[in-house]
Amino acid sequence: MTSSNGPTQASERSLEAMRKFSQTYAKRSGTYFCVDPGVTAVVIEGLAKHKDELGAPLCPCRHYEDKEAEVAAAFWNCPCVPMRERHECHCMLFLTEDNDFAGEKQDITMEEIRQTTNTYVSAS
Amino acid sequence: MSAAASVTDANFKPEVLESELPVLVDFWAPWCGPCRMVAPVVDEIAQQYEGQVKVVKVNTDESPSVASQYGIRSIPTLMVFKGGQRVDMVVGAVPKATLANTLEKYL
Repeated sequence: MTSSNGPTQASERSLEAMRKFSQTYAKRSGTYFCVDPGVTAVVIEGLAKHKDELGAPLCPCRHYEDKEAEVAAAFWNCPCVPMRERHECHCMLFLTEDNDFAGEKQDITMEEIRQTTNTYVSAS
Repeated sequence: MSAAASVTDANFKPEVLESELPVLVDFWAPWCGPCRMVAPVVDEIAQQYEGQVKVVKVNTDESPSVASQYGIRSIPTLMVFKGGQRVDMVVGAVPKATLANTLEKYL
């Protein structure tokens, strides 16, 4: 089953930075968070974790051979090139209005994020 | 309790490649939002096709070798294995019908 060293959460500082970035970028790009706020929460936590570990918010919905090299390449640092160029976020953080999973919100609180991600950590 | 068992780098060969049944593998990562959406779909598939398809999950953070070996990039990626070979794959949080249609071809 789950290994002894399951997922851990990001620092509050990085989480708050990524939360604010996500809100601002959704508004600026005219995109919306997922109808399931748990999806938004998990992705923001993942971005913040990468910011803690790598110094940049590398997309948490990709597998990389070498995370440091990917950060340096910058293509998948959030907002990634597909998002900036075509509003494509396969992580489902920023959804265009016509997406079936797009909700109506562009804001999420720290409490909402940790309410979801706390269950991930305790489950491990 | 999840219906799909966890498989790692260590037991991927016996559990997936040497399986008598076709295997659906859900490659996921802990902080991936769409993985959270596809997980219940994968569990439903596991129940619906019990005895016909084996359904397992690979955490790509914990099993990077197998993820790299099969060229996993976008997560979630769902792969179908039959007779030790990868025969199909679906990328992203897809509806249950899409996944079921993909699997039906290999039963």
